[in-house]
Amino acid sequence: MGVPTCPVVTVAFKQICVLNAAKRGMPTLRLVYSPHPVWGKSPEQLWGYMNGPDPATEKPMLPEIEGALTNPLTAEDKKTGTETPSVGPATFGPDTAKNLQDFYRNNGYTDFLPIIIPTEEAVEEMLTGTSHHPDEVVGKLAAGAFAPWSFTVRHVAINAVMAGAKPEHLPVILAIASSGYVSLISSTNDLAYGALINGPIRDKLDMNSGIGALGPFAHANAAIGRAWTLVTKNLANGGIPGDTYMGTMGNMLNYINLIMVENEEASPWPPFHVEKGFKKDENVVSMFSGLSVSAGQVGKGSGIGGTPHFEEQYTDLFSTFTGFFGALLLCDPLCAASLHEQGYDTKAKLIDYFYKHATQTAKEYRERNWSYLFEYGQALRGVEPFATWYKLPDDTVIPKFPHPERIAVVVIGGQTDPVSQVANFSYGRSISIDKWM
Amino acid sequence: MRIDRRKLLQALGMSPALLAGSAEAAQKKANRETSSHSSSKLVGLNPKGMPPEITLFPLAPRFSSIDGKTIYMVDIGFNNGDVFFQEMQRWFKENMPSVKTIYRRKIGAYPQDDPDLWKEIKAAGAGVIMGVGH
Repeated sequence: MGVPTCPVVTVAFKQICVLNAAKRGMPTLRLVYSPHPVWGKSPEQLWGYMNGPDPATEKPMLPEIEGALTNPLTAEDKKTGTETPSVGPATFGPDTAKNLQDFYRNNGYTDFLPIIIPTEEAVEEMLTGTSHHPDEVVGKLAAGAFAPWSFTVRHVAINAVMAGAKPEHLPVILAIASSGYVSLISSTNDLAYGALINGPIRDKLDMNSGIGALGPFAHANAAIGRAWTLVTKNLANGGIPGDTYMGTMGNMLNYINLIMVENEEASPWPPFHVEKGFKKDENVVSMFSGLSVSAGQVGKGSGIGGTPHFEEQYTDLFSTFTGFFGALLLCDPLCAASLHEQGYDTKAKLIDYFYKHATQTAKEYRERNWSYLFEYGQALRGVEPFATWYKLPDDTVIPKFPHPERIAVVVIGGQTDPVSQVANFSYGRSISIDKWM
Repeated sequence: MRIDRRKLLQALGMSPALLAGSAEAAQKKANRETSSHSSSKLVGLNPKGMPPEITLFPLAPRFSSIDGKTIYMVDIGFNNGDVFFQEMQRWFKENMPSVKTIYRRKIGAYPQDDPDLWKEIKAAGAGVIMGVGH
């Protein structure tokens, strides 16, 4: 912009801001720090901030801001050119397996669980899982508002070995890595990510879409999910607390992520990837992002003298969701069959029900943190429905989700009980796995 | 769900290692492998991807003083940022009254660019204080 600028951030973000400024080519950026937090503080408390010190330097904050805008530039401030960051040597060792385990763990390359050491032989074997050249660039990944890293098929294979995957899992892992979705992001919220697998590859890899589909009961589900986390840590430089990761509590889903395999055979509706324009015999991974998964209970009306009304129950469960992240219904086939019998002969009809019946008042919407962070700015730009929603009277009833597209339904589970789960997740995009075979 | 011999043995509470012979033989084999691995040396590959080249940007020329200058306060949209900057405007009014401050809430969500605002600020020949986070 060419205009003297002083970024002011709360001191909790000092490390991430200093490192990101350097990675963005401004290592001497004149950052000034305010006490943390700003959120929830009264005008009087913030007035105290203005008259107090920068907690990082102990110098008065406002005069420091003035200095950032007026102090003459140093030679370092004026520096131009380019720098190539190093990620270290191409190999580690030779050393014992135990010492290498410690090395990989202590240097942040793992998820803190033991890995398979990615030897040249193991990686070569992994590479037999794809026809793509090991040096082909797969894509770019960024774990937040950082400059993205790029990576090759070989890089993905190394991480797949570390995760304990088999060569036949590699095309799925490559498809996920090529999606642009990381599984750990710098947000202060404890975000989580999901991948849904459809197509014949589910059987070929012996993936679990039935009993315990979301649990630790299948090698492919576990290894593919774990590989995604290692890919994020090593190929996007993600998941470094205070540096590239700021989630205040973290999320237990981040270990192997929400890996879902649709039970296409038990579903009364077309598979998810067919909804997205793929053929049934294509192998596809669909990407999701969100916050949490909540286990549901058996449907309303399943007690004495009742008739199950799963759609009402799910709508109730959506009440705590933030509309920004949408809703993902993980529907057991028993529930899906019941809904189908009650007239929801397409997923679209069920989604339309949710869109119309999951509601909130305009006041509730505007008071939500995510609305303010991500949609108020769009409202100012005139983007609908947000522009309208920010003008409506407080008690106006509006949809919980701004568009039906923020709601998705996937059939999954082993039909042992008519129990479903709901996730505050939204669909992003679908990627061909076949392309990576 | 397909049940193979391995899964059947698991369901019966028996070790699938039986498929490879006696339990004792399987344990001996595992011990031999563990002993062999712990003494041999391995070379592991670096799992890191390729970070982008960094282009260094010089800082913009500074004012000799902000007296009489226009300073934009750009709120990137985190909660209470507007109140934070209201109080900062008050501080300038009381302590540096010659400085003209203009508050702007950046359009779009916090990571989104706002080229129109940057154009406005550049045209005004002003300085910027941008913030502030949670």
